Amino acid sequence: MRTLVTRVNPLVLLSVGAFSLIGSFAVRSLPIALVTIGLYALAALIFLPTWRYPLACLAFSGFAAVTIVYSTWRLGGPNTEVAVVAGLRILVLAWPGSVMVGFIDPGRLSDYAAQTLRLPARGVAAFSAALQRFSGFAQTWESLERTRRARGVAPGRHPVGQVKHSGSMAFALLVQAMRGASSSSIAMDARGFADARARTWAEPATWSRLDLGGLALTVTLGAVPIVHFLAGL
Amino acid sequence: MRSGAIRFRGFTWRPVGRKNPTIAGLDLHIEPGERVLLVGPSGSGKSTLLHAAAGALGTTISGEASGDVSVEGRLGLVLQNPADAIVAERIGRDVAFGPENLGLPRDEIWRRVDRALSAVRLDYPRDHLTSALSGGEQQRLVLAGVLATEPDVVLLDEPTSMLDAVTAERARDAVLAAVGDRTLVVVEHRFEPWLDHVDRVVALDPGGVVGFDGSVGEFLALGGRPGLWMPGAPPPTPVDIPAAFVTPTPHSWSSSPVSRWSSNRALRYTASFLDTQEPERAVMEPSQQGASAAMERDHAPSAPKPVIASDVDVVLTTRMIRGTRRHPALSNFSARLDPGTTTAITGPSGAGKSTALLAMTGLVRVSGGTVTPDRTRMRSRDLAREIGWVPQNPELGFLTTSVREEVERTASALGVEVDADELLALVGLERFAPSHPYRLSGGEQRRLAMISALAHRPGFVALDEPTVGQDRDTWAVVTGWYTAAARAGAVVALATHDPDAPRDAEISVGEAVTAT
Repeated sequence: MRTLVTRVNPLVLLSVGAFSLIGSFAVRSLPIALVTIGLYALAALIFLPTWRYPLACLAFSGFAAVTIVYSTWRLGGPNTEVAVVAGLRILVLAWPGSVMVGFIDPGRLSDYAAQTLRLPARGVAAFSAALQRFSGFAQTWESLERTRRARGVAPGRHPVGQVKHSGSMAFALLVQAMRGASSSSIAMDARGFADARARTWAEPATWSRLDLGGLALTVTLGAVPIVHFLAGL
Repeated sequence: MRSGAIRFRGFTWRPVGRKNPTIAGLDLHIEPGERVLLVGPSGSGKSTLLHAAAGALGTTISGEASGDVSVEGRLGLVLQNPADAIVAERIGRDVAFGPENLGLPRDEIWRRVDRALSAVRLDYPRDHLTSALSGGEQQRLVLAGVLATEPDVVLLDEPTSMLDAVTAERARDAVLAAVGDRTLVVVEHRFEPWLDHVDRVVALDPGGVVGFDGSVGEFLALGGRPGLWMPGAPPPTPVDIPAAFVTPTPHSWSSSPVSRWSSNRALRYTASFLDTQEPERAVMEPSQQGASAAMERDHAPSAPKPVIASDVDVVLTTRMIRGTRRHPALSNFSARLDPGTTTAITGPSGAGKSTALLAMTGLVRVSGGTVTPDRTRMRSRDLAREIGWVPQNPELGFLTTSVREEVERTASALGVEVDADELLALVGLERFAPSHPYRLSGGEQRRLAMISALAHRPGFVALDEPTVGQDRDTWAVVTGWYTAAARAGAVVALATHDPDAPRDAEISVGEAVTAT
């Protein structure tokens, strides 16, 4: 059950974020907000292989939510409930989608984006190649760190040194990324990408029962606040 | 123009940041179906020529181009750094990228993918992760990706430089079988095995000028050109690098007692071996006996220690949110490296040569077995004092924005005084001292990476494929550097597939480790 998220197709994963975004507009009261967040948390508990990652995402979107709570409370009159609901609304809007993005396989996403959603093939292929480079960044980072360590310029435990080091590493990674990108674009063009007019896809974009079930679930989760809102809760 | 023809007419190219063009007024016509071997010393503009044919100059790569270059038909290009050409997470989809662009039906795509993968002997399942491939395997993957598009013109930039002899031969056979009667332009330093399969040889001289253009027979009759690896010639004798540049620095030193060997003399010295075509040892003038004696005296208390690896396993972990994947990169590796000895770590592409080197330097944690001394927990500065590691991809190692600063960087962090200009003169890079390291050619970058990693004279010298991309002259400098370090008492280990690279001992890492 907990590996389900890795087996459904990437559009289903994206739909989690899309429907939670639509649903978030109906988060108008504290009960609706709490029920919705609770259901998403329950779904995360059941369907995700890890807890750490969704928690990290929760921390990031939680930060955004807290700033909204504060500004609503300051600017919209000191009404705590309104402010908290506004914050939770942001959480419903951002958290589920941000978690799901991490589980998307770039290659599979491009298959579905081009074949199911009929997005322009060249754009999709370029986007997918770019995302692939992103996963290569982890390796590049490791290599950069290794050379810096071997060259005697890696920082010790001192936090100031660590921050400086991270800055210089990030810059080095950026430089590598830009240089890699130009080589990449030369290599891609030399494999027929420059004049790819009617691109095909090596793998089909199929919709299994699991995918359809997943989609139904994400629609349901997104509909929870809307139904509650319409029912006048 | 027929499909497969390449034409350069008065082509000139000056990259941004260079005063002089790297290719000047080039005229070159390559007929459809011709197989051309493009040779020339390190930095003569061979890769630039391929980039020009691929239409990348003046567009993706900025600079000033004039004249004409045209290629008729579909082009396939394998670049020097294979990692940049990988576009997908798994090998099957990566090879499929080209056929997808051509709009082929799905059955045909996979037929070509399987055929290309087996042609380059990459015997992994289609869903094998590209991130788990070694440098040599990546090179074969990129080759497969190009072969799968069945191009009219195939341009290969050092396609087998990272491969051992057996794998290189297979890759070459795969290229030749796949190329058939298409046009082929191949750049290679160790070109002897290609000579039987090409119709024409073009030799570039420094400055991107055609120095020779003719048949293989005429080329061989010429008897050799400066710097080229002519067939049958014995490998050059390693240059005798003065001990003062390589003798391990004792930890207590805060500044080096290296005599002020004048830059002029260093330049003259470099010139003397660059002119020498015959394998004879360039002899250093006996100018630093005093310094050597001082070194021996100071040297004794912290002489380099042997490095012993027993039953070492290394499992590399790729962490993704979708899950963690582990790839065995090295298994059951045992070795003893002694001071004063050069040990070559050999083995087929993908067997774990680079990983073995990393494990022994303490730059990667082992998952089984032991390495003594264990340096994995040392502070960066302390580690650097003891080891010098020359990475396979030199670009990942550059820390500064000028060649001179690059050479001084580690040494100054450790408080060891070095004369960057002397070091640069020794490896023939003195004219690039103010340039950015990225402006150098592949072979030049490797030499810079080597002296930058070794300038502070560590006791353990570890080099990953140091001879790749070197012409005869620069090869003699690179091999001279590490053999001199070993003579001066350092522990020297190199991961290599170059059978000519000098060594005292050899350890083979066996068969390629297959991922699970």
